[in-house]
Amino acid sequence: MRRDIFELELERLNLHLPKRRISLGEALRAERPCVVTRSGKIHTFDRRELEMLVGLLEGDEVERLMLPILIEINPALGRGAARIPGNLEAKVVGKILKKREGETIIYRPEIAELRRKLPTTTCYVFLGGGR
Amino acid sequence: MAMPTAASQTRIDLINLRKKLSLAQRGKDLLQEKMDALAIEFFNMARGVSRLRREAMKKLAEAHASLSACLGLKGTIETMQSVRETKKDFEIEISSRIVMGVEVPQVTVMAGERSVAESGYGIYTTGPITDRVAGEFREALRLLCELAGLESSLRMIARELERTRRRVNALEHVTIPETKVKIKMIEMKLDEIERDNFVRLKGMKTLRERRG
Repeated sequence: MRRDIFELELERLNLHLPKRRISLGEALRAERPCVVTRSGKIHTFDRRELEMLVGLLEGDEVERLMLPILIEINPALGRGAARIPGNLEAKVVGKILKKREGETIIYRPEIAELRRKLPTTTCYVFLGGGR
Repeated sequence: MAMPTAASQTRIDLINLRKKLSLAQRGKDLLQEKMDALAIEFFNMARGVSRLRREAMKKLAEAHASLSACLGLKGTIETMQSVRETKKDFEIEISSRIVMGVEVPQVTVMAGERSVAESGYGIYTTGPITDRVAGEFREALRLLCELAGLESSLRMIARELERTRRRVNALEHVTIPETKVKIKMIEMKLDEIERDNFVRLKGMKTLRERRG
């Protein structure tokens, strides 16, 4: 019985991820910028965050940046470490956290800072569990 | 602690238990990561709540001081009349955002600054002090709405954090050690059976050699 509960818990870990990510440009054009999660709930983006992201991008990057920006948590990276998948996403996060370009691994204090600055446009994804 | 029964001490049970142990350890690692992430969210929100509460209290104190001054300058009847005439339009939008599977409210106050003409009260019986009181109470209300949303989110995150901690503790202190004991017992039992077989075969070989 207990085993079933834990399996269910692992499967539940990534239910908050969106079914489909949208680009920053798409989010800006929408009247109510939001995505639908795998569990069917609505996750709304804060317009102030979208505008802040626009300020960090150049040219057509607005159409290429996919939201929400994922923060990949994988126990294989070590406890408290996370990876930002995607070059453009990593570049934006690097600018926010004032990191060197090309660095995709961030650590707990940086995750906290990133989540404080972008609470709605970033989300965690857990790797290495579930099926 | 439940021990495996004699009937369940087979090689297939050992394989199943090893799978269960690996799943439990992986689950524990992931749930610990989730707990860390929830703790980050919790402290970020707690800081926000504390800041907003301080700002709201400060603004309310200022608004009450201005109201006292207004009552003194304009008189109680005129001030109460202005309060009744003030337009009660305060638009807020409540949407949701998902934090680690927890749906938390996101309160956005749509009501911005408004001019004296939009306030609704007469301009002949009031003065700048009335405008200041109205503006300060409006600002305090905006802060209180945001505070309510954040406090409610904080409570939800705290509940989820507690639930995840219980799961991690159950895995760490019950499931994993229990499974390890079961695996050890089955391994010992299977080793015992193997030794028995070995001795029996050795005995049979000796017997056969003696017979001829």
